[in-house]
Amino acid sequence: MPPFKDEQIIIIAPGSGTTVAQLGLPESFTPPRLRLRSCMFPAEKEGEWEPYKVRRRMDKLPERPPATQEEAQEINDMKKSLGEPDEDEIIYEEDTVSEEGAVWPIQEGKIVNWPCFFALITHVYNAMNPPFHTPILLIAQPAWTPREHEKLTQFFFEKFKTPAFGLMDSALATSWAYGVHTSTVVDVGKGKVDVTAVSEFLPHIQGRVVALADCGGEALTQGLLAKLKSKGFNRDMCEQLKKNAICEILPAGTPLPGTGEVSGEDTVTNPAAAASTGAPGSGPAAASAIGNAPRGPGADTEVGDEANGDDENEGVLDVASIVAGGKMNEYLARKEKEKQEKAAAKKKGIEAPVPPTKPVRLPNSKRERATFMYEDHVLLDTLKNMNLGSKGIAEAQAALDEGPQKKSQDAQDGTSEPKSAVDAHGSTDAATSASRTGPIRREIEVGVERFQAASGGVLETIADAIHRTISSVEEVNKRSELWDSLIICGNGSRIRGFKDALMAVLQSKYLISPSSATIFTSEIPSNISTPAGTGANTPQPQLGLHGGSSQVNPLLLAATTAQNPHLMPPGGNPLLPGMPSSHSTHSSHGQTPTSIKFVKPPEYFPEWKDVGYDEAAFLGAQVAAKVIFVVDQGQSKGYMTRPDYNDQGPTGIHDYSL
Amino acid sequence: MNIPNPSTAPNATEYAGDEVSAIVLDPGYNTTRAGFAGEDVPKSVVPTFYGQINSDARPQYYFGENAIHNPKGNLQIKNPWGSDGIVEDWETATKVWEYAITSRLTGPKAGDPVKNGLNDANGGAMDVDMEALDNREKPLEDSPLLMTEPGWNSTKAREKYIEIAMEEWGTPAFYLQKTGVLAAFASGKASGIIIDVGASTTSVTPVLDGMVLKKGVQKSPLAGNFVSNQIRLIFKQSQPEIPLTPHYMVASKTQVDAGAPAQATYKTFDVPPADSFRQHEEERVLTEFKESVVEVWPGPGRFSNGTNEEIAKAQPGRPFEMPDGWNQVFGVERYKAAEALFDAGAAIHDADNPRPKDDQTIPHLIKAAVQQVDADQRPLLLSNIVVTGGSTLLYKFNDRLNYEINALYPSTRNKLIAPGPVVERKYAAWIGGSILASLGSFHQLWISRKEYEEHGANIVEKRCR
Repeated sequence: MPPFKDEQIIIIAPGSGTTVAQLGLPESFTPPRLRLRSCMFPAEKEGEWEPYKVRRRMDKLPERPPATQEEAQEINDMKKSLGEPDEDEIIYEEDTVSEEGAVWPIQEGKIVNWPCFFALITHVYNAMNPPFHTPILLIAQPAWTPREHEKLTQFFFEKFKTPAFGLMDSALATSWAYGVHTSTVVDVGKGKVDVTAVSEFLPHIQGRVVALADCGGEALTQGLLAKLKSKGFNRDMCEQLKKNAICEILPAGTPLPGTGEVSGEDTVTNPAAAASTGAPGSGPAAASAIGNAPRGPGADTEVGDEANGDDENEGVLDVASIVAGGKMNEYLARKEKEKQEKAAAKKKGIEAPVPPTKPVRLPNSKRERATFMYEDHVLLDTLKNMNLGSKGIAEAQAALDEGPQKKSQDAQDGTSEPKSAVDAHGSTDAATSASRTGPIRREIEVGVERFQAASGGVLETIADAIHRTISSVEEVNKRSELWDSLIICGNGSRIRGFKDALMAVLQSKYLISPSSATIFTSEIPSNISTPAGTGANTPQPQLGLHGGSSQVNPLLLAATTAQNPHLMPPGGNPLLPGMPSSHSTHSSHGQTPTSIKFVKPPEYFPEWKDVGYDEAAFLGAQVAAKVIFVVDQGQSKGYMTRPDYNDQGPTGIHDYSL
Repeated sequence: MNIPNPSTAPNATEYAGDEVSAIVLDPGYNTTRAGFAGEDVPKSVVPTFYGQINSDARPQYYFGENAIHNPKGNLQIKNPWGSDGIVEDWETATKVWEYAITSRLTGPKAGDPVKNGLNDANGGAMDVDMEALDNREKPLEDSPLLMTEPGWNSTKAREKYIEIAMEEWGTPAFYLQKTGVLAAFASGKASGIIIDVGASTTSVTPVLDGMVLKKGVQKSPLAGNFVSNQIRLIFKQSQPEIPLTPHYMVASKTQVDAGAPAQATYKTFDVPPADSFRQHEEERVLTEFKESVVEVWPGPGRFSNGTNEEIAKAQPGRPFEMPDGWNQVFGVERYKAAEALFDAGAAIHDADNPRPKDDQTIPHLIKAAVQQVDADQRPLLLSNIVVTGGSTLLYKFNDRLNYEINALYPSTRNKLIAPGPVVERKYAAWIGGSILASLGSFHQLWISRKEYEEHGANIVEKRCR
């Protein structure tokens, strides 16, 4: 068999929310090139699946103009034609954005719908259009059982005729990415959290916490929804709010803006610092949030300054139902009126004295209210289902969209208040790239609820899972190293402040502080009386009795070695008879953690550095693929080859998995 | 020789035709271990404890590590094992075991082969045998099963085991073996005395040539849970009383001086979990205490003998911090928690927790077990003393055990076999089962479905001795 080359290797990482994949390893490892939603749509024929929603359309217009999302661009080129319409009049079209009626085959890390999952993998595979002789490395979720590994092996060999196939545990892949042999990997996914202790490159299978439900990104969305439901928010809005930079998890004990009485003073005393460190939408965290929100097409961080509480959206958040009910025109008319009123009010406001607190831009965590752009997919779906025809849809969209196009017009009119550099930048960007077929955007304002995504106890549950995982590692002496090498990854942890808040919970609940009882004095064994000034009862080395004792003051020795038994000289401490010198076997006796640290992410992959390491498992898989397929050529049984499969069948995969 | 062409798919019969990997299930009081035969550690180790919430209609059950540590309102934590080391609640025990197998090994039941996508590559529909579909509903339809049982299992319980495996799980072949024999196998021994100190039960099993000497099997409740209980009593009788607060009650802790009252902020629950939940969570803290503080007095002599206690006082204490931040150094107390395993007189007791009987201690169990063995076999057994079970990991446990055995039998060559790796000590019975079930001869041992259908559940008495 010819050796594998870099450009032939396929890596696939299926996830509950997003599946990423790549064909070929570049010179410097890059984030995955192909990024798809992990969902499929049932086709008309039962048992078949389509990657996008397919609608019937009655008019005879050609295909819709190309959508603008990054996602759509990526997949446009591999769009398959759907076959000719069998009836005249009926035209089918693919809708690359809609999620209506989608089936998500992976839930909480488990594969729940195998036909759909296989269809998804097939779609991913075809999307990459690989040549022959492509080895495949699949990143396996911890929730997959050995039997399921066999099933996957069978599928890959028999469906794709792949010459070599490898399975890699996602936690192990993450630790490869970070280049550490021992680590605690906390993978925050969509519906679940996995916590795995990896020690010496071996995932600790027995004690790992698999698929801890109600803790992933979805739980955070639900947390927001619980807080905001009364204000008319729906799940979709909360989801987008969560991905926006204004949504943040504050460390426990931080007062919410508007409730903490001191929140204003900081900015007054040190406005420069506040402006430079906390400016929303400009920090690295926010930047990465913008750059790679998984399905956030052009998500710009509209942290406008209109925090003065205009309630235009209150009560009419659910535009979709209004439109569906045929009242769109009424709604539009009302909106227009409101807008004029507002503009008039603003004109007046310019003459009024500017509020004194205005000049300093408060950091997000200090603001009581903030706004974000909501992309109303439901509304778009509703419009599409109304069979308006593309012209009609475009018109309706234009009327309903409050997105950046409108804004820039407003700005030209000079009626709206001046915008910050960030805003202006964001809106021009979006305005040039956005076309009329983009999603319908509306501005929505939220209050302090945006800081309360994790108020349902998500962080405590994850922290407890970490504690349980590490406590279940049998080698007691490995535990402190595991605590010192935490890795938090997964797209669910992307929300601003998540990692720091989790660390704060761990520190406040589990960190063992040095006991005041173990300072020098209390270490003196109680059977030694305190040395008197005369020196009469200062212990003397008793050579005759114990033999071979050192000439060091035994008291000092006892005190300094008590906590570190391995430091004791062989042969036993003269003061502590009866204590065998077998301490070396038990040197790390004691509670953990005495310190908790994150592992520093690797710095030698510039492309990854830009987007963050939330998908570090993929980076690890790239490293591993390079090692097992190219460098090592199968010597260490990192993958299964076709002849191996023919010999051993699917069950053989257990001998080859990393 | 016929070498298969690498580019063609093999026939279904060609690969691994007769090599079916058996599943080994080793149920215990604290954890249930399950995995595939031939592997070196069980892939699935799940708690045997389960959660239950009694709602109006019917009780809701929760299995698995994640569920039983989740402080849900009214959640009770229960265990299907009885205090005598035999399963009491068969219905939930079955569910727990099934969970251990399906959650991490086999996955939920396989779907209909027509639709599960595996056959898509071959194309074409195939005839669906409705009977085969029925069998698919069962989790173990294509795996032989080896289960372990304690040496004192009743006939009724053994018949129940095979009934569950055959009727409920649909396993094609079944075998039952005693934990003692398997633990000996794991250490490569066919004969020996197996001392198994588990969570609820300590047992001593004499094994000769792979057979348990049934009348020699001894057991007592002085095991891991007993030590936990002793620690609770130490906390309770300490002046002032040491509060035991589990992690889930604490929101955040503050550092305090040693012995000072805790200054933590506590959580409040609208509907708190049941007391049994709290007790189970406290057990986590006690486990940590056992791992980091408790020490067995290594000998010579008992802890209460002569000046031993004085010597122990000279040892440096070990600090321990509670989840609520309370901390203290434990000096001589830490020797007391496990002393009663060897010396019933040293047990800490109060009105609710009576002093254990003398013949329940480990030395007495060993003595009673050895007495049942022919005198000429004793030296053989005593030179193969296998130590297993999670509670034998207590610091210095083996030193003390060694001392006690040498004191009992000074004239023979006594050898303690205690595997160094913790995993092997904890899962010895499972590992032995994994070895047994991966042997070629396992085919000859097992009871096939056909035999079971012919002879009924009682066949287990004849075939699995």
